[in-house]
Amino acid sequence: MAGMLNLHDLTAQVGEGDDAKTIINGLSLEVPAGEVHAIMGPNGAGKSTLSYVLTGRPGYEVLGGTAELSGEDVLEMDPEERAAKGLFLSFQYPVEIPGVPVMTFVRTAMNAQRKARGEDEISAPEFIKLSREIAGKLNLTPDMLKRPLNVGFSGGEKKRLEIYQMMMLAPRFAILDETDSGLDIDALRTVAEGVNALRSPDRGMLVITHYQRLLDYIKPDKVHVLANGKIIKTGGPDLAHRLEAEGYDGVLGEAA
Amino acid sequence: MAVSVADIRDKFRNPGPAELELIARYAMLPENGQRERAFDAFAATGLPHRRMEAWKWTDFKAALKSVEASKASAAFEALPSGDHSVIEFSAGGVKLPTNLPEGIKLHPRDQAQSLGNAENIPLGAMTAALAGRVGGMDSLIIEVTGEAAAPLHIVCKGDRDETNFARVAVIARPGASIDLVESHLGGAGFSSFLIEIGMQEGGQVRRTILQRGAEDEAQAITGVVTLGEKSHYVQTALAFGAKIARIETRVTHQESESHAEMNAAYLCADGFHADLTSHVRHGAPSSVTRQLTKGAVMNGGTGVFQGKFHVPRTVGQYTDADMQHQALLLEEGAAVFAKPELEIYADDVECAHGNTSGALDENQLFYLRQRGIPLAQARAMLTEAFIAEALEEASESVAEAMLEAAQTFLAETR
Repeated sequence: MAGMLNLHDLTAQVGEGDDAKTIINGLSLEVPAGEVHAIMGPNGAGKSTLSYVLTGRPGYEVLGGTAELSGEDVLEMDPEERAAKGLFLSFQYPVEIPGVPVMTFVRTAMNAQRKARGEDEISAPEFIKLSREIAGKLNLTPDMLKRPLNVGFSGGEKKRLEIYQMMMLAPRFAILDETDSGLDIDALRTVAEGVNALRSPDRGMLVITHYQRLLDYIKPDKVHVLANGKIIKTGGPDLAHRLEAEGYDGVLGEAA
Repeated sequence: MAVSVADIRDKFRNPGPAELELIARYAMLPENGQRERAFDAFAATGLPHRRMEAWKWTDFKAALKSVEASKASAAFEALPSGDHSVIEFSAGGVKLPTNLPEGIKLHPRDQAQSLGNAENIPLGAMTAALAGRVGGMDSLIIEVTGEAAAPLHIVCKGDRDETNFARVAVIARPGASIDLVESHLGGAGFSSFLIEIGMQEGGQVRRTILQRGAEDEAQAITGVVTLGEKSHYVQTALAFGAKIARIETRVTHQESESHAEMNAAYLCADGFHADLTSHVRHGAPSSVTRQLTKGAVMNGGTGVFQGKFHVPRTVGQYTDADMQHQALLLEEGAAVFAKPELEIYADDVECAHGNTSGALDENQLFYLRQRGIPLAQARAMLTEAFIAEALEEASESVAEAMLEAAQTFLAETR
């Protein structure tokens, strides 16, 4: 397998006991370094579940298959280990953390990752300089970065804050889970510019979305359609346009 | 000595070894009517125990089988004293500061003054009866005559002692203000501190308390606070508990438009017990009370919150009072007991209370871990953020140190 992210026959369930439900069902996917892939699919297809399974959220159990990041099995790692290995999730619903200012949080996260990788901590001036630079690109004010994380932020501000964190942490592989939801056109453009700035030959991305709109700004190399827990169709950027025009039913009907 | 030990002992019902020791100590003191009244008030209950409603979760009698020296001298650091004037109470006596900031006068008293409401505060009464006699001083009166130029810091700290009992009274004259910092560090098998604060018109007292004892120690900190017209009292406590520890505060809004704010955070590790108890009487109209207590307890630790607002029919009119207690049970096996009480007889008041307890939020934990913060560190971070709100009104001179003490504790016990 040549991908940076390699998923093979991945099967996973949510919940426990009688409530357990298999959501990811034999999913295989390869995202090579330097590429951006989009995952589209109807509600309930398993898009968000896939992002949680890959990042190790408690409550999601892998029943079978493999998931590797740069050849390393991530399924055995704790969530924080996966993060230190460079796996980043931009949350669909960023969580409010009262009492922890944005800057404190990001610096703690950055240093925890560096420590796990055996690297030196970032110095305060270095951190502030980097933060200022990135915040400027995302139209985040210094005042916003002093506020508690996500507390009292609008939906659009929270998403910009997710991208701010992504740019600060500079992960190897980023998963963006419905980053476009709750964004107006201007915010969407700002966020997309941030994401595009991170495109690089040694970084991969998986963009999960309902709509084609985001993909006008973040041009994917490939588009996958996820339904019933597996990839049922893969194509170029034009597949997103077809989905927009014909709907999931049209495209899925043809695939089935 | 006119009274015999046997006579005193008869005033107690079933005195245990610790009470017998306290009786023996009392019998050695010269006679004094005020002491006697205080000791009688103590004798009525003896060491408070679980069959008393106000002490059902904090049983000093059971915890204090006998009065024994603590195994170690006080191991914890006092809050930083910076430019503070420091008064240090230990079993050996009291050290008074040589320089006092402008606006503060000290009056050592060789005669105990009377203690109001002694029957309701058994350990306060005990302390009033037994405090002092070291350095020939029964109590210390701190008179605040103006705007105190620097904080006054009271340190109670033993060195493998059996007891450390101290009594202080603070009088804030009209318009006077003081920043009072207290470090209660244990180091004695049984430490008890009694402070009476009287605030006259427009007086301002900011009281910041650190309580930290060892696993074999009992600690009581009893405060009796009276608020004059338009006076302003702000209390912030950080309690780590001890084998058994209680910070009890009784506040009376004596005159109208007085304002009391009482916040506390408690952090209890395995084997530690911290009790925050308060009683606020709105004895004058248009008085305001704000109270926020937050706690986090680990497996084997015990946190207790008891809060009461008492608003009498006529005098309590236009009271505005709010009491909040929120606890985090960090692990299975953590215990938190809470009893918020509002007793309201006046009809035109705004009184509210809230009481919650729960675990750390799984969504928050995962969010932090996804960013690379290890689980234990994520838990410490969220716990610190949770309790920090209750420490926001601490004296500026020690606010950071209070948070750091909490941080260090969480980092070490996680």
